[in-house]
Order: sequence, then C-alpha cells, then structure tokens
Amino acid sequence: MESMHRYVSPVNPAVFPHLATVLLIIGTFFTAWFFVFVVSRKSSKESTLIKELLISLCASIFLGFGILFLLLTVGIYV
Amino acid sequence: MNRGSKILNTKVAGYSSLITFAVLLIAWIAGFSSRLFAVIRFESIIHEFDPWFNYRATAYMVQHGWYKFLNWFDERAWYPLGRIVGGTVYPGLMITSGGIHYLLHILNIPVHIRDICVFLAPVFSGLTSISTYLLTKELWSPGAGLFAASFIAIVPGYISRSVAGSYDNEGIAIFALQFTYFLWVRSVKTGSVFWSAGAAISYFYMVSAWGGYVFIINLIPLHVFMLLIMGRYSPRLLTSYSTFYILGLLFSMQIPFVGFQPIRTSEHMAAMGVFVLLMAVAALRHLQTVLSRNEFKKLFIVGGLLSAVLVFVAVVVLTMMGVVAPWSGRFYSLWDTGYAKIHIPIIASVSEHQPTTWFSFFFDLHILVCAFPVGLWYCVKRVNDERVFVILYAISAVYFAGVMVRLMLTLTPVVCMLAGVAFSGLLDVFLQEDSSKRLANTVNSVQEIDEQEESLEKKSLYDKAGKLRHRTKHDPTHETGISSNLKSIVILAVLMILMMFAVHCTWVTSNAYSSPSIVLAFHNSQDGSRNILDDFREAYYWLSQNTADDARIMSWWDYGYQIAGMANRTTLVDNNTWNNSHIALVGKAMSSTEEKSYEIMTSLDVDYVLVIFGGVIGYSGDDINKFLWMVRIAEGEHPKDIKESDFFTDRGEFRVDAEGAPALLNCLMYKLSYYRFGELKLDYRGPSGYDRTRNAVIGNKDFELKYLEEAYTTEHWLVRIYRVKKPFEFNRPSLKAKDRLIPPTNFISRKNLKRRKGLIRNRPMVVKGKRTLK
Amino acid sequence: METNWILFYVTLICLIINPITAEIVNKNVERNLDIASQLVKTSYKIQVEETAGKPLKEYEFIVKDPNLSFISVKDGFNKRPTIEERKEKENGLTRYKITFASNAPQQTLLIETVSTKNILPYPSEIKQNDKQLVKYVGGLYYYSYYLTQTQRLNVQLSSSNIIAHTQVRPFAVMSNKISYGPYENVAKLTDDELFVHYENQSPFLTVNTLERTIEVSHWGNIAVKEEIQMTHTGAKLKGSFSRYDFQKDGRSGQSAVKSYRTYLPASATGVYYRDTNGNISTSNMNQMRDSVELDLRPRFPLFGGWKTQYVLGYNVPSYEYLYNSDDDYVLKMYVIDHIHDNMVIDEAVITIILPEGSSNIKLEPPYSIERRPNSLVHTYLDTVGRPVISFSQSNLVENHIAEFTLKYKFSKVSLLQEPLLVIGFIYIIFLLTIVLLRLDFSITSHSHKD
Repeated sequence: MESMHRYVSPVNPAVFPHLATVLLIIGTFFTAWFFVFVVSRKSSKESTLIKELLISLCASIFLGFGILFLLLTVGIYV
Repeated sequence: MNRGSKILNTKVAGYSSLITFAVLLIAWIAGFSSRLFAVIRFESIIHEFDPWFNYRATAYMVQHGWYKFLNWFDERAWYPLGRIVGGTVYPGLMITSGGIHYLLHILNIPVHIRDICVFLAPVFSGLTSISTYLLTKELWSPGAGLFAASFIAIVPGYISRSVAGSYDNEGIAIFALQFTYFLWVRSVKTGSVFWSAGAAISYFYMVSAWGGYVFIINLIPLHVFMLLIMGRYSPRLLTSYSTFYILGLLFSMQIPFVGFQPIRTSEHMAAMGVFVLLMAVAALRHLQTVLSRNEFKKLFIVGGLLSAVLVFVAVVVLTMMGVVAPWSGRFYSLWDTGYAKIHIPIIASVSEHQPTTWFSFFFDLHILVCAFPVGLWYCVKRVNDERVFVILYAISAVYFAGVMVRLMLTLTPVVCMLAGVAFSGLLDVFLQEDSSKRLANTVNSVQEIDEQEESLEKKSLYDKAGKLRHRTKHDPTHETGISSNLKSIVILAVLMILMMFAVHCTWVTSNAYSSPSIVLAFHNSQDGSRNILDDFREAYYWLSQNTADDARIMSWWDYGYQIAGMANRTTLVDNNTWNNSHIALVGKAMSSTEEKSYEIMTSLDVDYVLVIFGGVIGYSGDDINKFLWMVRIAEGEHPKDIKESDFFTDRGEFRVDAEGAPALLNCLMYKLSYYRFGELKLDYRGPSGYDRTRNAVIGNKDFELKYLEEAYTTEHWLVRIYRVKKPFEFNRPSLKAKDRLIPPTNFISRKNLKRRKGLIRNRPMVVKGKRTLK
Repeated sequence: METNWILFYVTLICLIINPITAEIVNKNVERNLDIASQLVKTSYKIQVEETAGKPLKEYEFIVKDPNLSFISVKDGFNKRPTIEERKEKENGLTRYKITFASNAPQQTLLIETVSTKNILPYPSEIKQNDKQLVKYVGGLYYYSYYLTQTQRLNVQLSSSNIIAHTQVRPFAVMSNKISYGPYENVAKLTDDELFVHYENQSPFLTVNTLERTIEVSHWGNIAVKEEIQMTHTGAKLKGSFSRYDFQKDGRSGQSAVKSYRTYLPASATGVYYRDTNGNISTSNMNQMRDSVELDLRPRFPLFGGWKTQYVLGYNVPSYEYLYNSDDDYVLKMYVIDHIHDNMVIDEAVITIILPEGSSNIKLEPPYSIERRPNSLVHTYLDTVGRPVISFSQSNLVENHIAEFTLKYKFSKVSLLQEPLLVIGFIYIIFLLTIVLLRLDFSITSHSHKD
C-alpha cells in the first residue's frame, strides 16, 4: 500500500471535450473524402482499393477515438 | 476532352452527392436539436397525456415480451371493466421503440426505455426529412427535395407533434406516410412490382402506427381514380395499384386493432371501388384491342351501367345488412364541423379537435403557407402522373387541416414539399448562370445554393450569403432576361425570408411546443429566476408511494393515462375514451352533490378522488374550467339527473362566486376544489378564498366534507387528492331517514297498538335523532 | 423489609469472606443514554476490578437492547481489546466476551453501543397537529454478570417535555436530562425497568433498503449511485392531511420530514437526485470545504408512515479513492455514506463494478458483511462483461461509515480495448460500403432514371 500512488486517468478529463471535437472533425473530414472518392470512382476503372482502405482506416481511427472521448465527455465512463 | 469532361462529371457527381448527403445530415441534426428544448429546459421526460400511455405500454412490452403485450388485459384502467390493450392499440410505436431497445441491449448499450421513447420522435423527424427529400425528388427535382427536407426538419407544424418527449403515434407516422407516398410515386412512375410491394410494406408500417392510415388508403385510390378520369391509364398504374392494394389490404388486416375493418367499413370502400374500377378499365382496354369498335361501344355502355348499378346496390345492401359498417362518428365530424358538438361532446371537448383558425396556419407554417400555392401552381402547370398525386394530396390535406387543428400535421409535409418546389423554381430563374455552364451543372448549382441556404438557416452564416451575392454580381454580362440588380435583390429577399422562417420556427418551437405540461415553469417577476411547479409529479408520486397497490382513483379522464403511468394505480376512465357511459358516470359523480356522488363512488369502489385545482397559482387548465364538459357529457347519458342549465346563473353565466348557481356551488367538484380554500389568503390585502384563475372570491366558503377527507394536496394546491371514507367511518349513519326504517317483511308483530311502546323504568333515555312516525 | 436487610448483610458477608466466588466486580459504572434522536446511543464507562488481585483477562458484557447495531470497546489506555460475540443467545440478550489487551487487576472499559428501533412512538398514531410522543423502555441498572458497586445513569432527551418516567430515587430532572443514581451495590443480573415517555420531534426516518453501486472507470472516474427507499417510522398520521394547516401553521406537522441533509464527498460532481418519474427539482446543493452538502427535499413532506424512494448519484475523480502500482490496484471507499443525520439502514446492498478485464479480486471489509456471489454486468462497449462484487449488511447506522479495501489486477493495455472496438465497428461499416459499391455495378445498371 505504501508503494502505491494515487491513480489518475491517462488523459486529463478536462481535455475530453476538446479532444472529442477535434478528433470528430478530422474523422468527418476523412469520411467526406472517402465518400467523394468512392462516389466519383465509378467511371474511372483503375484500381483504387488500397487508397480507399487507407482513407477509411484513417477515418475510422479518428472517428473511433472521437466517439470514445465524446462518450467520456457526456458522462458515460466506459 | 471527352475523357476529361467525364472525370469532371463524376467529380461533380461526387461533390453533389456529398452536398446532398451533408444537407440531409444537417437537416437531420437541426431537426433533432430543435426538438430538444424541453429536454434541455426540463429533463428527459414523457410529455402530456397520450404519450404516457404509449410509454407505459412500451415499458410493459419491453418487460413482458411481445406476446404478453398482445394479450395484455389492463385491469388498471377502466375499472371495473378493464381494457384489452393488445387489441386496441396501434402497436407500431411500441414495436419500433421496443425493437430499438432490444437492438441496443444486444449491443450492450443499457439505455433506459424511457430515453428511447423520449428521443424517438426527434430521430424519426430526420427520417421524415429524408423521405420528404426522396418524394420531392421524385415529384420535381433534387434541389426542391433538399429545400423540402430542410423545411420539414424545422417546420413548427410538424415539430408540434414530435418534440422530444412527445412520444406519440404521429411522431413515427409522418415518416411512414411520406415514405409510403414516395414508394407509391416511385411505383407509379416505374410500374415496378418491387416498388409497389415496398409501398405496401411501408403502408403496413403506417397502419401499425397510426389511425391516420385511412388518409393513405383514400388518397392513393383517389389518385388512381383521377388518373383514370384524366385518361392517364397505363399498365404501370394497373400493376402498381393492384399490387399495392392487395398486399396492403392483407397486411393491414394483420394488425389486431384494424382486423376486418378494411373490408367492412365505409372508410375503406373507396379503395376497393377504385380497385374494381381499375380492373374494369383494364379489362375494357384489353377488350378494345380484341373487339371491333362498335361491339366495344355497346359492351362499354351496357356493361358500364350494369356494373355501376351492381356495385351501388351491393354497397347499399351490405351496409343495410350491417356487413359494411357505416361511417363512424369521428369521420362524420370531418365533413360537418358542427356534428361533434351536437352528437359526441367527448370529441368536441378535446381542444385539438376544434376547427383551425387562420392564425394557426401562419403560426405553424409561416412563409411556407404563402409559397405553397406557388408550388401547387407549378405542379398544375407542368402536370404529370405523380404531380397529380401531390395536387390531390395538397387539396385534401388543406381541407382536413381546416376542419381540425390536429390535422395540420398531415398538411405540413405537403406544404413543405410544394414550398420547396416553389423556392427551387424561383431560384432556378434567378440564379441562372450563363447557358453553356448551366447545361453542365444545373442540378449542382441548385443544390449548392440550397446547401448555402441550409447553412444560412441553421447557423446564420452571413459570410456565405455574401459570397453568393458576390458571385451573382460577377455574372451580369452573360445574362439575357433579368438584370443582375434585380437578381441580387430577389435573392437577398428570398434569403431574408428563409432566415426569418428559421427564426420563426425556432421561436415557435421554443415557446409554444416545448412544454412538457406535467412540469410547469414560471419566471419570477421580482428576481427573474425560473421556478418550477412540479405539483403533478408530486401528487402522482405520493399516490404511488402511499396508497394501497390496488387503490382505485377517480379523476376526470384527462388524467387517466398520467395516473396509470406515473402513479401506477387503477383508474376509472382515461384518455382512451372508448366508453362514453363510463365517463358520463364519472362526470355525474363530479357534478352531483356529495351524498349522491358518494353512492356512485361506492358503487364503483372508488378509494381516492383526484382533482386539479389551479385557483392558487392561476393555472387555467384545471377541472373547474373543464367542468362544463363533464356536465355536458353526464347530461348526455343521464339527462334526468344532470342538467347543464342548472349550472348557469339566471343570466346564463358560469361563475364560481356568490352569485353562482346553487347546483354548482354544492356539487362535488366544487367542494373538492375549494375545500378549505375559503380560509386561505393569498396576499395580505386581498380577501380570503380569492380564486386567481377565475378572478373571483368563491361563493361557498365554509363547508365540511362528510364522505371524503383530504388525503393530500400538493404544494401549490394544483392537485388535490381525497380519500373516500368507508361507510363505518362516519360519525352518523349515512342512511337517509326513510332507509333507516326496517323494510316491511312478512313478520307481523303480535304487539297491539297499545303495547307497542314498551317502557323500562329508570333506564336513561338515549335520543338518537328523530324518527318520522307514520 | 427485615429479610431484605438480612439478605444484604449476608451478601456483604459473603463478598467479604469469600472473594473467590465473586471475583470480578464493577466498581463504578457510568452510563450515558442518548435517546434524543431515533437511535439509542449508550456509552458506558466501566471500572472493573478483580477483587482477589489477580490479573483480569476476560470480561463478559451484555447488551439488553434488541436490534443492537453497533458496538465499540476501548480500554483506559485507548487500546482496543478484542471483542467476541457469544454465539448462544438467551432471551434476546447479546453477550460479548471482552479480552483485555493488558493484564492488570483493575481495568477501565469505554463501550459505546448504538441500537435501533427501541424508541417507539406512543401513541402510535397522531393527528397532523399533534406532537410526536415516544417511549423508551430499557434497563435502569447496568445489567451485568457481576456485582456493581456504584453506578449512575444520565438520560439525554430531545426536549424538556417529559410525560412520564421511572422514578427511583435518587434522580434529578434538568430540562431535557434525567440523571439517575448513584445506586450502590446492585446485585448481578438485576433487571429493573427504565421507562421514559417524552416528546421527540426528531425525524424518524428509516432507510428500508439502500442499494449502493460503485462503478470504477480507469478513464479517471468513479460513479456512485444510491437507490434509497425510506419510510417515516414515527407516529403514523391519523385522519386527513391538510395543506392549509401545514402551510399556515408552523407548528403543524412538526414531526413530518420536509427535508434532510446528505453529505457527499467534497469532490463529488454531476450530482443527480431523481425517482421513477424523473428529476426531483426540489433540492439545494452547497459546496462546503470538506464535503458537498445536499439539502434534499422529497417530493412531498414525509408524515408518519409515508414512504418515498429515490436515486442519488454522483461522480468522484478516481485519484481520491483508487491507488495503483503497475498493474495492482487498490480501491478504498466507504461501505456506506451519510444519508441523513442519525440514520438507520435496515438493509444495505453494496455493488462494486470494476473495469472489464480486472482479475484477482480481493475484498477486505471493515466489519463482518454478508458476501454475495460475484457476477458480470454488460454495459457500454463491453464484450465479456465487467466483474461485479456485491455484499450486503443489515441494520447499519452512521458509525458504520468505514472504508473497505478492494484489491485487483488490471493491465493498462485493456484500456485500449474500447476504442479499438469502436474503430473496428466503424471500419467494418466502411468495408461494407466499399464491397457493396463494388457489387453495385451488377444490380443498379437497370436502375430507374427519369
């Protein structure tokens, strides 16, 4: 017990809202890019699979963390 | 060059669909958030009256499962009759939120069912705007669709029924309505069985959700009928209508509450008639191709007359035999606005069944009500199959909205669509770029402008509007008809109007439609602080905690659902006004004297009586103000005992002060409302017993209750609960003098007259009242 | 009379001649009986002597009041002797064996006991404007297996309005206090009744059930939720309730509970107070230096026999209660917290929800509790479920506010599990879109265009 120290969150709870906003904005940007990219792809037959996968991966990482911090902001402590 | 333009085109398609997507998303978010006023100001709570029943039923379904819900006999309502809930509700609402609840719990998201119910209508408003977009896109253009989608997201006429917490059928039904119409128009356009089957499924959802499905099943046949009359028959129409009708009929009969109505009631006969007619027309068309002209003419006349007579006779005979039910009372009241007032006071007593005032059209629709005829005119001018539909939709909805305030709801979507068409048409004219460019991206420009207007509406971003002006100013050299100055002025004006519309919508939503009505808020005039009157929940919670679990509570029917939902106690009557005579009995108990109503109350096993009294705080929706309806409804069933005229003064006034009618001053409702109120002084200078709602000093101040006792009164006296005493609790027997005599039996006294009065000496005489001797 | 004196002398002689039979005597006993609230709080100061001069090892202590909730024992040197409850119970008595820490022929014992539900409203039903009268029946003399040489009893009441009380001389009444004694040489197991009938307007609130849920999140938060059902267990309200009297007359309904104070930890944020019908809007919160003071008003004033239930919840930051070194975590929190002054909790169930992936869970309660089986709970973004530790205890009072210790292991990597879950979910949606759009070529070629 003596060797233990008080446990604090790995991320300061005060920055949760800011983090959520920034991450969600970036995530939305990537999603929009992905969206435009996928819709305009139709005619050009060249293979763009790798690019699509990469963009969507970026989008989902940012959105994922954004949603997590959004949950933490609104008081759902997962 | 060709390849380059192709790439450009796909890029444009990409951006235009992104813009469409973004506008719809923003419309969804804006619609959702503008419905949250009540949640932010108060809390996540179910509003008003009917939503409480829906919430209770949903909670029951979530707890006990779907089959238990279908077989649910609710013994806590309509005591002692009970109510078969499973067979008397439109279960679509409960299934929807129960399904969402189930899904979320599978995903380990432990959301309380109440929160799902509260936020269901705002979420569905987003779906409504998407389906409105789709429908308008089918009818006119994607640009008009975006306009319509954003209009319906924030228009007060729809918000009034779909704010967060207003958990009612209409919240999801408007989505189902619009979506059914979209699928129907699609199927008429394509003649595809797929789309019309989709329309039938969507219609099924609508039937399961709201009684207003009758609107669909009459409007679509009307559309078909008009197309036939206009000579616009096509095999596409035949395919889509026959598929839709047959599937829709079968689907709608699966809902227990609807059952066999679609083939047995007059409301549904039009659809069947049109189906037969369409079949006949199709058969004739077929014959036309087979037979010669003369033969066909003969056949047409004879067969047409014969079949018309046959159908008419069949309908009349079936109606007479009772197989087909005649029009229901509620339906009559749609044609004759005075009908309900005379025949069904219980319908007339509901404020939302009153005819609509001119004012409320503007209040609920604002600028759209002006733009809507323009859109209608555009549609008439460039008519085609599906625009006939929207014209009919508009005309019938306008009529119904004029009859009943409540049906403003069905008018709102079509107004939004046609106003979208109007604005889109207007901007098409005034935002034209040079013709060569225009060919390439007409659609895009319209959408882009829409997008800008969207953001303007939602966020009031003036810089975007500035950009728009800037661009239009740089165009004039290419313009042919209209001068650029005029253009910018018109566009500015349109933008201003749209901005005003957004402001108006927000204002109306925030002020008129966002009160939960079970929590009242008022602003303190002295320090400007906001106070909350939570008397309803105080009383209901008291009932739930401190009365026996099977206690029966008598109140006016308005509060039945709330008592059942919040206090979880048995009620006598509730907002499902299916049994008029039971309601009349309660009305009679409320408007009789204490003795008489005690008889009624004991016969109904009433344990507590609950009345709403607003005299202390000046709440106008209380029971004394509703009292005349109780009297009227009671008089309808018990004309001998209750007369409305008794409750008016000689001069025909309804007043509670000393000049009030004696019948009023001694009835149970009056006594329960004003018990010990006569002693209360609201301020130091005023007289005691001053009723703030009716601005009068009450007439009957000093009285005691004999058969009831005050059980609880809330902090601001808004809800008063009385306990009905049991017969043994009175100081004196409640029997009247003549009842106290032992009824004559076969027993004959052997005492003669002289000996009848026996006398015992030295025994103290106890006089217990006087007996009338005969 | 004569025989009594003879008996007394005989006993005295016995005591003098044969000290072996009566080895232990209570030289002096001072009892303070506090019955000003709904609790019976007794503090004893007992001087024990081993008359033969042998070292005193063990002492038997008897509590006569039923529903004993709490007992603490100290000796003269402020050390805690071991105390052990005797298993066998005879006619409602609770017996304790106290083993002293030091060996000496003379010992001092400081004992505090709290018992519940021994002050009963009398009459049990009153009207709204009546005062609440209660009676307490207890022992006039210190009930012991040993002879008590001198003893005193001070009774603390809530008001000076005493209807009746036991009158055994010497006694004195000073406004809201009655002092009895000194009584000399009371033989062992003397059981005379003490009866006090007096006015007690203090709130008689009983918490019937308390369900306290503590949810630990390693994102830096501990959420506490208390579901409370309480009853006013004082004199029941007879007849009707009149709002007019209640508002006009300050003396009306004095025994009714209009509001009470709850103290939360000073770092509590996001406090909510609600019931099944939603938020209860009538409460005030004051931020004090070492606590958050909540002035809770139930929806309606609680009269005798009336019930209410509500949920009170708040968040506290994890660094107040959670300690770690590497993967070992220790949670130290109160088993129960303050609900209202002089509270009585009939049954408390405490549930602790740990983050997903915690293992090696060990609970160290501050006093004996009834352990309930562990389980799993599934909430937001859970896959296998969070471990739940649950235990219960009945008949608790304020003195039971004490810390438990919960040790568990948790690896920090599992903290990333939740975001990865969300990311995976979203990515699957994207993948589905990609796949569907590629399939789309074959099914939308005949798509309707008008």
